[in-house]
Amino acid sequence: MGFEVVNSKVVRADVSPDRAVLARRGAMLGYSGDVVFRPVHGQGRGVGGAVGAALSRESVPMMATTGSGQVLYGFRGLHVTALDLDGRAPLFVEADRLLAHDADLQTSVQLIASGGVRGALRGAASGQGLFTTQVSGVGAVALLSHGGTFALEVGPGEVVGVDPQAYVGHVGALSVDLRARAGWRDAVGRGSGEAFQLHVTGSGTVYVQASEQKL
Amino acid sequence: MAQLTADGKVLVVDLAGDAVRAVTGSMVAYEGAVEFAGAGMGGGDGFRAALKRKAGGESLSLMECRGTGRVHLALAARHVVVVDLAGETLQVESEALLAVTSGLRLDVRFAGLGGAAAGQGVATTTVSGDGQVAVLSDGPMIALEVAPGEPLVVDPDAFVASSGAVSTTLVSGVSWRSLVGEGSGEPFSMRFDGSGLVLLQPAER
Repeated sequence: MGFEVVNSKVVRADVSPDRAVLARRGAMLGYSGDVVFRPVHGQGRGVGGAVGAALSRESVPMMATTGSGQVLYGFRGLHVTALDLDGRAPLFVEADRLLAHDADLQTSVQLIASGGVRGALRGAASGQGLFTTQVSGVGAVALLSHGGTFALEVGPGEVVGVDPQAYVGHVGALSVDLRARAGWRDAVGRGSGEAFQLHVTGSGTVYVQASEQKL
Repeated sequence: MAQLTADGKVLVVDLAGDAVRAVTGSMVAYEGAVEFAGAGMGGGDGFRAALKRKAGGESLSLMECRGTGRVHLALAARHVVVVDLAGETLQVESEALLAVTSGLRLDVRFAGLGGAAAGQGVATTTVSGDGQVAVLSDGPMIALEVAPGEPLVVDPDAFVASSGAVSTTLVSGVSWRSLVGEGSGEPFSMRFDGSGLVLLQPAER
């Protein structure tokens, strides 16, 4: 069962004894019923996860919502996209874009692309850093974006180009490579402003926001 | 023929081997084989336009998107509206322009001292010809009609674009109250006479 979309910036989650929700700390807007909020530390499981999260700076303070009732989540007036993961493919997203997700989903910190220099360049260009968060399992996720997201399907043999600042996340077996298209025009300040692009190939869905502003 | 479609805050451009000009850096995603190249200031409409633009302080940096495929353009989560032009002229704030199809000409028109007083600069951008223009607004766009005998007065900070045969005058609401700090907060307004359409945004720059 997914999150209910209240409006473009707020989602409602049903919390019950068999369904806890993890959310960004401070993102609760209101609730009804008997609900308790408790801080949690670290993205992954155990001490290793906590240390990993701290080292990679992929750590955003989260809280667990337990009990039974309904909770409204929203954050800083940012747009919210509700997704349902079916367990077939994980979601890759920046930790600071995670508004809320089912506590049953596993989150872990991933080294971007693990492709050496190219992966590092991509992280630097998109402002993501070297690490990203992988969310896997079956359940609901709510993502934050500036201006709302739209989904682009990528099929085998297709290339979708995405502005690194507008990239939000992706689901599926996709590879994301940074391509530099900088020429002499860019060096003299007459470029198209699109010198760096992410090239997404494989099969899956990539989420793009309608703005080039990072969170 | 390139086709522009507005979808909320995203402009979808379908390219069939041709090109459109768009604000530098506004691409958020594309599918297919599309190349992006700088198209200079003022869209390369000649040296005179560039000079006028410099003189008027209107800065507009454009890129050319050419190829076959679909390009998604967006800028700072602002709403997008597509205006179809068939030989008409659209006057638009240069910072509200997102993209123009290839059949259109961009130029600079001097608005006189009125523009300077309203904080818009002394020049505005005009788009003329046959094709489509994508215009940005901060919040959903409002279109208001101007008819003979029914002038329209708007806040210059909310003005986005106008089309048709309209003449613009600046209305001053400055009185002794403004001088002593008791003004209404609306010292200048733009008045449109004639017949045409005025596009406004629900926010003041």
